[in-house]
Amino acid sequence: MSSLLTATVVAGGLPILVFLWPAPPKDQKKGKIKIQLTKSIDQLANGDAVKFDAPKSPNSAFIMADGGGDNAAGDLAFGGFAVKDQQGKVHVLAINCSHLGCSIALNDTDKSFDCPCHGSRFHLDGTVRHGPASAPLSNLSWEQDNSDPSTIAIEGIVLGF
Amino acid sequence: MSEEKKEGPGAATATAPKETPIIEVDGHVGHTLEPDYKRLPIGPDHILYPVVVGLALFPILMGDAGHHLADDMPDEDTHPFFPDHFWPYPIIAIVMLIAVGLLSAYVQKNLQLEPSADPRAVTIPRPDWYFLFLFQFLKLGNEFVFSIGIGTVVIILLLIFPFLDSALGPRVAKRLGWKKWPVPGRNIITGSIFVGSLVIIALLELWALAGPQFCVPWFVNSPVCGA
Amino acid sequence: MAIPHPREIQLAVVNWLDERYPFTKAVDEALYQRVPNFANAFYYCFGGMVFILIVFQLLTGILLALYYVPDASGNPAPAYTSVNFIQNSVYLGWLIRGVHFWGANLLIIMVLLHMARVYWTGSYRAPRELNWIVGVTMLFLILALALTGYLLPWDTKAYFATEVTIKITAGVPIAPVATLIKELLQGGPVVGPPTLQRFFTLHVFVLPALIVLFMYVHFRFIRAHGIAQPM
Repeated sequence: MSSLLTATVVAGGLPILVFLWPAPPKDQKKGKIKIQLTKSIDQLANGDAVKFDAPKSPNSAFIMADGGGDNAAGDLAFGGFAVKDQQGKVHVLAINCSHLGCSIALNDTDKSFDCPCHGSRFHLDGTVRHGPASAPLSNLSWEQDNSDPSTIAIEGIVLGF
Repeated sequence: MSEEKKEGPGAATATAPKETPIIEVDGHVGHTLEPDYKRLPIGPDHILYPVVVGLALFPILMGDAGHHLADDMPDEDTHPFFPDHFWPYPIIAIVMLIAVGLLSAYVQKNLQLEPSADPRAVTIPRPDWYFLFLFQFLKLGNEFVFSIGIGTVVIILLLIFPFLDSALGPRVAKRLGWKKWPVPGRNIITGSIFVGSLVIIALLELWALAGPQFCVPWFVNSPVCGA
Repeated sequence: MAIPHPREIQLAVVNWLDERYPFTKAVDEALYQRVPNFANAFYYCFGGMVFILIVFQLLTGILLALYYVPDASGNPAPAYTSVNFIQNSVYLGWLIRGVHFWGANLLIIMVLLHMARVYWTGSYRAPRELNWIVGVTMLFLILALALTGYLLPWDTKAYFATEVTIKITAGVPIAPVATLIKELLQGGPVVGPPTLQRFFTLHVFVLPALIVLFMYVHFRFIRAHGIAQPM
């Protein structure tokens, strides 16, 4: 009897679990998203950053290349910063704080990224400057467009909704 | 009327056979319920009687009453549920309705919508007051420990509190040389835990309400600011 | 044949009903149940107030559901415009939504007060431990209702508050479990239209059904145990 009951629960429960698992919308597809920056990377001074958003139409998001804390490789971001750190190295970072995913903002005077939610702060290269975040910001995988210096192509996804 | 006293669900009514008239017995063993509808303020010939019968759904759903404390108490220490105990509730309902109605009319700030959700917007999500202390609590340390970690422990402690109280309480009382383990209202230990938790929650709430400019040195991630 | 007085017809109906189920007895027993005088203290009515407020929430919730559209696609999303429509165009929409909103706030206050009273007077003690557990479960159900309801207007603060909440619940250190929780709650890789649909289902169907069920159990326990004596 007990095995029969177990079988019933499994037979009834499994399809429900499968049903709950989200199917991707039909028009969802991954690919490179071209982003026009307001300031081309060549023009960025050391310690300078420029914010960009994922396109609204079609509704798209960027795919994080790595992760830490609450961000993981493969997670999505709706914006990011192209930043030249004090050493002149260029980083393209996802906008989501590694603590709980709020959008970080550039603090121009302190040359840091500050999270307004729980007070985490990051250096311009994405490493942690002040908790509660314990992991660095996520990078986006990107490449510069050779023909247009103010355009970068970032790994992303068209969401399909 | 039978003299034996019954225990458990249904005992309150089991002692009242059908045709019993109301008898005020000295030193009685339980309250005699009027078996029929004679005592209803709204009798079967009243126009509102169907409403009262409709209300019977409630006791039918609720099942038999158990043998209650009130059944063993003298009449002067008890009162009937209807109307003596019931009458404040319609008044309370109306007062609360007026209160929330006035709030919706005059405190529009919380009801007005922000712009439609846009994941690209830069905004500070600030939770409602009942989650605000948790929001502040999150800032105090490691994300996992201060959210799911401590949260789960608190939930489990809350759920099993009656068992903790009955299992550990008497032992603590014995060790302290107390005669018994009182309820939290008269217990310096469980009472203080309660008041202490409320104080912590209130402080966290005030800390958050003090705003982002209000920063306090803290053990980790110092300084921690309000929200 | 004389025309019977309506009263006689009603009496006949009542008698007919009574022969099939003792309705009048049930009413009589319930109404005349004796209540100890100590239960007249004002702090014993917090639970009743919670019940009344939950009834308010159910009624106003049903009314709001007549106009609300759980669709978050596009900007502004239909969900957002429908809430705006309720708030600004529907006759007395501001009142019904306001009562639902402020009632929820008051409900949380009353639940906490009720719980504090039960704790303070030791009413959770034997034989009422199970009812304490049922009550604490209902507290979390109500907080879950508050949380899922917060997203439904689909405005900016609702969106980001939900995003953070989901991140917190998915903060389990075991990565596959975290992904599982996140995907199931969000219904996709980000907070989006499927998330609203899921939260709507929880807020409107699942959680209210659960809370009504738990309330029923809570009341049956109270009816079986009676009102606890303050110790």
